[in-house]
Amino acid sequence: MKATGDDLHVLTGSYVLDAVSDAEREEFERHLQNCPTCEAEVRGLRETAARLAMACTVTAPARMEQRVLAATYQTRQLPPLPGSGRQARILHFPRRLALVAAAASVAAAVGLGITQLSTQHQLDTAQADAAAIARVVTAPDAHVETARTSAGGSVTVVTSAALREAVVSTTGLAHLSAGRVYQVWVMSPAGARSAGLIPTGASSLLASAVKPGDRIGITVEPAGGTKRPTTTPVAVLPV
Amino acid sequence: MSRPQARRWQSPEDEQAPDLAALMSLVARGDHRAFEQVYTELSGPVYGMVRQVLRDPAQSEEVAQEVLLEIWRSASRFDPAKGSAAAWALTIAHRRAVDRVRSENACAAREQKVAPDLAEEHDVAEVVEATLDHQRVRRCLDGLTELQRDSIKLAYYRGYSYPQVATLLGVALGTVKTRIRDGLIRMRDCMEVSW
Repeated sequence: MKATGDDLHVLTGSYVLDAVSDAEREEFERHLQNCPTCEAEVRGLRETAARLAMACTVTAPARMEQRVLAATYQTRQLPPLPGSGRQARILHFPRRLALVAAAASVAAAVGLGITQLSTQHQLDTAQADAAAIARVVTAPDAHVETARTSAGGSVTVVTSAALREAVVSTTGLAHLSAGRVYQVWVMSPAGARSAGLIPTGASSLLASAVKPGDRIGITVEPAGGTKRPTTTPVAVLPV
Repeated sequence: MSRPQARRWQSPEDEQAPDLAALMSLVARGDHRAFEQVYTELSGPVYGMVRQVLRDPAQSEEVAQEVLLEIWRSASRFDPAKGSAAAWALTIAHRRAVDRVRSENACAAREQKVAPDLAEEHDVAEVVEATLDHQRVRRCLDGLTELQRDSIKLAYYRGYSYPQVATLLGVALGTVKTRIRDGLIRMRDCMEVSW
């Protein structure tokens, strides 16, 4: 049996609520292409249906977030459909700028770090690190997180998922008494591993083998560092 | 010569809510950080609604995860000219949930599973947020006729097709189609949804 245009028009509500069969849906979608009135009505009713969904908002289980975010790193995105003009590019530029600013502050911190070193070995290591750091910061997928620390100042983490490396830079951390240092950790559900020590002030270091879902934490530890964090982190950031 | 109280019409809620459409355009370009914000905004509604339709917590979690990943995957297909990002995402979510209900019903040998002990999870997950939306939807649903309200709730929150709704309510097919449509239109007007 063939539905007439009027019959189909009544279907807008059922279509929006997914209360139609697959065959009816296909027929209705064909009809929509030639019925601007139905299309407009469907649009409005979709927003209404969305409110029905919002009304049953519950907090999703916490473990879902890590799973979904981790999965995005392994999921290829669909290309845009041809001819679908998109807008809203406003955010693009400021974000690029933020990245450049973060890169600049990291570079400055690296420079500072290097000037504080003395031996040739330290210098070589620092320069190798600096090259690695530059690679992460300029990676096309570089992703920036910044947070204030409870020890004053702030910490910036630039991560490249593709390189599996993160650059941790700090600036303005409170000066520690002799015998104590700031230590950086890569934290995952499996535990925390040390990514190195940072001198007071402005500094950067490279954390390798970083996975999506990991977090970067900074704690205050006895000089020389420890195997596991022994104090409450002054900052924790996602990578 | 200061102008006192320069515009402050935004409610605190509005100030907090990020622009989902702008975020989606970043997500379409592969921005993971923007996606985290989209996740924060949409995971609650997506999970809550899927849970409402499917009931089973484990299954709901699985479907909600698929949906949220689908939002990442097909972000480039979202067209802000055609509606809000939330409506786009929740359309995907509802369709998935309903597909799951129907494919299960089609499976003749459907065994009745004993619900595992999920008490511990419930404590965390079951925080129903008393949102503005919740109150408004409630109020607007109350303004419908009983038949409109039941038809919409059975279709949307239970995932029933309109013929199933007709059977359950003992009314003609055409009546259900009409009541779902005019009920939704009344809801739309009641909530003053802009479109």
